[in-house]
Amino acid sequence: MASGFREFQASVRRQDGTAIVELSGVMDGSAEQLLNSAYAEATSSPPERLLLNFADVDYINSTGIALIVSILAQARKAHMPLITAGLSEHYQEIFRITRLADFMSIYPDEAAALAAA
Amino acid sequence: MTEEPTQQTNRDDAWAKPVDKLTVGDARAGAMNLNVDGRGLTGPLQGFGQLWQKTYRIRLDGAEASVQDVVAYWKANLPTLMPDDSRFYPSLTGVKPGEVLLINATLPGMPGGMPVSTGVLILYADDEAFSVMTPDGHPESGFNTFSAYDEDGTTVAQIQSLARANDPVYEFGFRFMGGGAQQERIWRHVLTGLASHYGVTAEVDVKKVCVDNRLQWNRASNVRHNAVIRTTLNAPVRAARRLFGRA
Repeated sequence: MASGFREFQASVRRQDGTAIVELSGVMDGSAEQLLNSAYAEATSSPPERLLLNFADVDYINSTGIALIVSILAQARKAHMPLITAGLSEHYQEIFRITRLADFMSIYPDEAAALAAA
Repeated sequence: MTEEPTQQTNRDDAWAKPVDKLTVGDARAGAMNLNVDGRGLTGPLQGFGQLWQKTYRIRLDGAEASVQDVVAYWKANLPTLMPDDSRFYPSLTGVKPGEVLLINATLPGMPGGMPVSTGVLILYADDEAFSVMTPDGHPESGFNTFSAYDEDGTTVAQIQSLARANDPVYEFGFRFMGGGAQQERIWRHVLTGLASHYGVTAEVDVKKVCVDNRLQWNRASNVRHNAVIRTTLNAPVRAARRLFGRA
């Protein structure tokens, strides 16, 4: 894990048909197991949509982006819309360059994401 | 001011700046530069074939090399670690975010192989990893990450790809023409070569996971960018230039 950052954490809650996965800390290769577990928990009872909240994420490296791609691919396969909230301007740019943004709506915060759902 | 924001800013510099189209700058001598300039980027979700995550790992048991040492050596010696039929040409600037790495390779499928000139964008580079992203027309659509990490006091070198074939021709080639086996051979060659530099002889551990087994037929038209077809069609032009002494 990158030094100086908090360890990755992921928690799941539900609101109005949306499964919200709250992410925090650094998203790198060490996040794989927790992220996959969170996705499994969020989709155990299929929600109408999945919201990834990045507001408390410190840093994402390229392996972290690949983990998000895997989650997005699984959600698309399950025909489940995936939306995001709380990405900094920098990571919104990264989502555009990696073309993740082609397949997920990006909202400034959780309230905006839920309001648009 | 705390140290953390400064560190985060430095880490953010590890990412390439957004680009709409790739631009090849100072290509190294000997590199054929086709099918890269002006191409858009294509990720794991934009290609045609099944989406695979393939992880290749080698443990550098006994090597006196830190994670950072290994990645620094890897970046500096990327061209020489590649096999003869898959040459990498970093720009003169090296493996830095936003730079384009040209690739001249030979794919299986016919006697002597099929030449392909392509390239990748260095999407991310820090002292523990670097990642590349493919352009339109590349055999695969996705990312490759070259990294090292510490496992119980031993440095492990890893290549992880998250990609799918870019179009139906490539998907056929990967499945039935030996393309998939060639790809595996290339990454085994790179990792065993890297380990050999540190005096280590070890097996490469390979793990393959099909993330999405569906074919994305709405991406079948990606074939119009196919770098193998375009490189082959360009061959008479290159031959004529050589004949008449033009670069």
